[in-house]
Amino acid sequence: MSRLLTVENLSVDFAGAEAVRGVKLQLDSGECLGLVGESGSGKSVTARSLLGLSGGTVRADALRIAGTDALALNERGWRALRGATVSMVLQDALLALDPLRPIGKEIADALRVHGRHPRAERRRLTLNLLEALGMDDPARRITARSGELSGGQRQRALIAQALIAEPQLVIADEATTALDTRLAALVLEQLRAVKQSGRGVLMISHDLAQVAQVADRIAVMRQGRIVETGPTAELLHNPTHEYTRMLLRAIPAGVPRHTPLSQLGERITLTPRNDKLPAAASDPTPALRVENLSKSFDGIPAVRQVSFELPRGQSLGLVGESGSGKTTTARMVLGLTTPDGGQVRVNGKLFTPLPERERRTARPQLGAVYQNPMASFDPRFTVGMLLADALSKGRNLRVAGQRTAITELLDTVRLPAKLAERYPFELSGGQRQRVAIARALAPAPKVLVLDEPVSALDVSVQAQVLDLLDEIQRTTGTSYLFISHDLAVIEHVSDRVAVMRGGQLVEQGTATQIFTQPQHEYTRSLLQALPRLG
Amino acid sequence: MKFLALVARRLGATLVVLWLVASAIFLAIRAVPGDPAEAIMGGPGSQASEQALAEARAAYGLDRPVLVQYAMFLGRLAVGDFGTSYSLKRPVAEVMGEVLPPTLLLASCALLTAWLLATIGGLLAVRATALGSALGSLAEIVAAALPHFWLGSVLIMLFSTALGWLPAVDTGTPAGMLLPVLTLALPLAGFLTQLLRDSLATALGSDFVLAARARGESKTSVFFRHALRHSMLPVLSLSGWAFASLLSGAVVVEAVFARPGLGRALLSAVLARDIPMVTGIALFSAAVYMLFMTLADAIASMLGGRVHAA
Amino acid sequence: MKTRRLFAHLAAWLFLAVLALCALAPGLLAPGDPLAIDPAAAFTPPNLTHLAGTDESGRDVLTRIVHGARPSLVIGLAATGLGMGLALILGTAAALAPRWLDGMLLRLLDALYAIPSLLMALLIIALTGPGVGPAIIAVGLSTAPGYARIVRTQIRTLKDSAMIEAATVLGRTGAQRTVHHLLPNALRPLLALVTLGIGQAVIWASALSFLGLGTAPPAPEWGAMLAAGRTYLHLAWWMSLFPGLAIVLVAAGATAIGRALGGKVRAL
Repeated sequence: MSRLLTVENLSVDFAGAEAVRGVKLQLDSGECLGLVGESGSGKSVTARSLLGLSGGTVRADALRIAGTDALALNERGWRALRGATVSMVLQDALLALDPLRPIGKEIADALRVHGRHPRAERRRLTLNLLEALGMDDPARRITARSGELSGGQRQRALIAQALIAEPQLVIADEATTALDTRLAALVLEQLRAVKQSGRGVLMISHDLAQVAQVADRIAVMRQGRIVETGPTAELLHNPTHEYTRMLLRAIPAGVPRHTPLSQLGERITLTPRNDKLPAAASDPTPALRVENLSKSFDGIPAVRQVSFELPRGQSLGLVGESGSGKTTTARMVLGLTTPDGGQVRVNGKLFTPLPERERRTARPQLGAVYQNPMASFDPRFTVGMLLADALSKGRNLRVAGQRTAITELLDTVRLPAKLAERYPFELSGGQRQRVAIARALAPAPKVLVLDEPVSALDVSVQAQVLDLLDEIQRTTGTSYLFISHDLAVIEHVSDRVAVMRGGQLVEQGTATQIFTQPQHEYTRSLLQALPRLG
Repeated sequence: MKFLALVARRLGATLVVLWLVASAIFLAIRAVPGDPAEAIMGGPGSQASEQALAEARAAYGLDRPVLVQYAMFLGRLAVGDFGTSYSLKRPVAEVMGEVLPPTLLLASCALLTAWLLATIGGLLAVRATALGSALGSLAEIVAAALPHFWLGSVLIMLFSTALGWLPAVDTGTPAGMLLPVLTLALPLAGFLTQLLRDSLATALGSDFVLAARARGESKTSVFFRHALRHSMLPVLSLSGWAFASLLSGAVVVEAVFARPGLGRALLSAVLARDIPMVTGIALFSAAVYMLFMTLADAIASMLGGRVHAA
Repeated sequence: MKTRRLFAHLAAWLFLAVLALCALAPGLLAPGDPLAIDPAAAFTPPNLTHLAGTDESGRDVLTRIVHGARPSLVIGLAATGLGMGLALILGTAAALAPRWLDGMLLRLLDALYAIPSLLMALLIIALTGPGVGPAIIAVGLSTAPGYARIVRTQIRTLKDSAMIEAATVLGRTGAQRTVHHLLPNALRPLLALVTLGIGQAVIWASALSFLGLGTAPPAPEWGAMLAAGRTYLHLAWWMSLFPGLAIVLVAAGATAIGRALGGKVRAL
């Protein structure tokens, strides 16, 4: 083993603002170092400064990459280093590979810029590497552009362009973020292989559970500083810093239902308020009943014969990879997309198919929260106006007369009353999602459709929002249709789970059944790909 | 195959558009008060006799029912017959055949010049400092705001009257072309540079550019290999509009530089209220616009960009 | 950064104020009579009494430019108003109409858009004859298809937006969605577009006057002044330079303000 990377007291400034302070990192060949932190922690800036691409002013006591003193490098020197000694795998292959160029060229470019090999040889090496990475029929794929490939092929191409010039250090910057579970598992697998081939891997991610699958050591970053570094097992089991403990706590995988994720101390499972439960016991009508919903777009079926029930006061987790039809199903439930066939009943009453005019009276029983709340807010409205609008059924936008009700709503989602005067764009992602929840709760709905409500949030904020949703359910008895691609979240929030693939429900049952005794092969493959700690 | 289908769809759309343009013009002519026969006889001032007017009506088919006239109008257009010019008393197609080449030459040169200037502008903008970029932005806005008729005059004052380097009127030599081409190209270049710079900024901020730099690509190489291709797409998709706007500009530029061409012909046709001539030129411009849109889409699809819906 | 933006804002407002003063009370800035001829002072180059020189009849060019602001701006504003008004009707109709009608309207707009603006203006003038009214109508009508396409896209995009869907889920009626969310959000970006458009309209309107198809010569209008100046280009450069500068200033100013308002560069 040899030392690949030495970083001592690294700091990066952007126009006077310090993004990274006093960072110290070490990495040997054949080792993987995980750099974990939430958005704004400075982890990406740190990674980019190792390529000379941070865009800010970089200072350090030492910055040695594979024996080269990077502090002394000029632009030409950096260029010789990039790709050849250090390479980078970015987040989304659809964005990180030039959508207008064939992937073969993108991959071979890493050799071409360093003047290695004639064109034919570069092509041969590209094909060999893609073959080794498990790409089927690489000779045909290399003429395709990234948009024309499947997710797995594209992701392999992205890794190939970082490996082809055989760099000693590979930086993976959120390389698994926003990928479907199985695709993320594939990328993790390949990063592990890179490590085992004797190279160094610096893996940057907000997802501690995923990093722990590959990393030998983990460094936790917060507000530009490293708060804790240690061997993976030790950091997971004996975290010394409070922030690390909080991050570990926030991971929903394997945590039972009604158990807060955002509180430190001993885990306590809370029970729902009893006075809300009898309703469910005495009236067996499900809050939401979906029968044989189908929808095709341009003759291509998106949803086929989907049926499920959501009992009162419970949560149904609808899980599936992107393109599985879960969002189309949610839109049909909400009456935003007209189904080709099938029906939706809310509290036993027919909701779809009905003309909008007739079902409008039933609308208050059905609320919705989306992944991106900003897009669902009128940009001209303050938080107070948004809630006033929702409370008054669109008749009164003035906050003044409805101040008490607005304050109460904000309090329900644990937001201070003074936020009513602010615009959503001034708020943080977590605050915005709370406002979206408050707005959805304004008509006192019986059912909330939550479409990827926490997917865009940091882990700690996700934990807070999940806890809030649980608290609301426990106290009001609202039923949730919870849609997510993230199995860990689904496991934590659901009483029942329905697994979707290719427009169809492949399996449904209680959460315990699905997660302990999956029947369908697809469910099993999903569970296998789910990263678990310890 | 997809490519051929695209071209076929575009040609279909072109025919529909041309038919609509022709119909709109036909309708507009009917809707406006005034006797076309008067225009044929040299305008309201000509005091033509009632008999002469009737003869003119008969000669141009103006005495038939409106629907018959419409059918005849479309039928003639379908075989490329734009009718007979009121003022020149010659077939419109023949006159257009004469005035078209100089205008097409002028507009093509101007379009190429504008593209070239815009690309240079874009490249400079990428490498510019904050001050340089602000100045460049100002230059673009001012260039795009230059009216052709004034820019032409200023260029003449500068290069012809004051410096005596170039002829003030078109002499048919390459030197004589220079000022008209510049006059047409500069405002368009300003506009295209603004557009190019906006899309360059987007392209250069994207992840695939960062990935290319991380492979060791130089800034200049990233510009040509990745960013420019992406920014060319919006510029390309506008080139139909750009060429059409150059035909507009040609009307003015040909007047300023006393150049023969389509624009001059159009201007005198407008002054003489020569409807067939004006109709012919308008239809021709619409056809050119549609042709350019088809070409731009074809090139964009070859570059791998998204193809606009027809 | 902040001070630079503040400075730009101030400059834009100052520019608008001077322009408004020229248009509303030209006498305050240029007390002279824009039509008063003085054959003895014909073709005076710029000096201290005549800052921008005099024309072939000895009229003060600067006075005429200041007084010319009103007709030029009126034509530009009226034409943009007309074009945008028509565009709002057509674009909104197309966006809210059923698919088949939208398709037809879109084809029609495409057809009209296919004729270059100045050509369309000339076509209209060929039908109506020259004059200020026809120039306004011509420029207005010729810009309408471009605006209408943008209005349509704008409303279409908004109609399918998450914001409108959220309002549907909250149980809002179609009328409430349109009045409370759709129209206000669709109209706001049009303000920037209109500002950008006024600059172009001023250029086109003066182009028509330059070609002798708009305002008639003795009246102080920038395009007409340039047309007169062209005859004496070799003799009196100032007759061409200064009125043109006024047009460029207004058009560039409008573009700068429009872009600051958030307008993207677009072909009209």
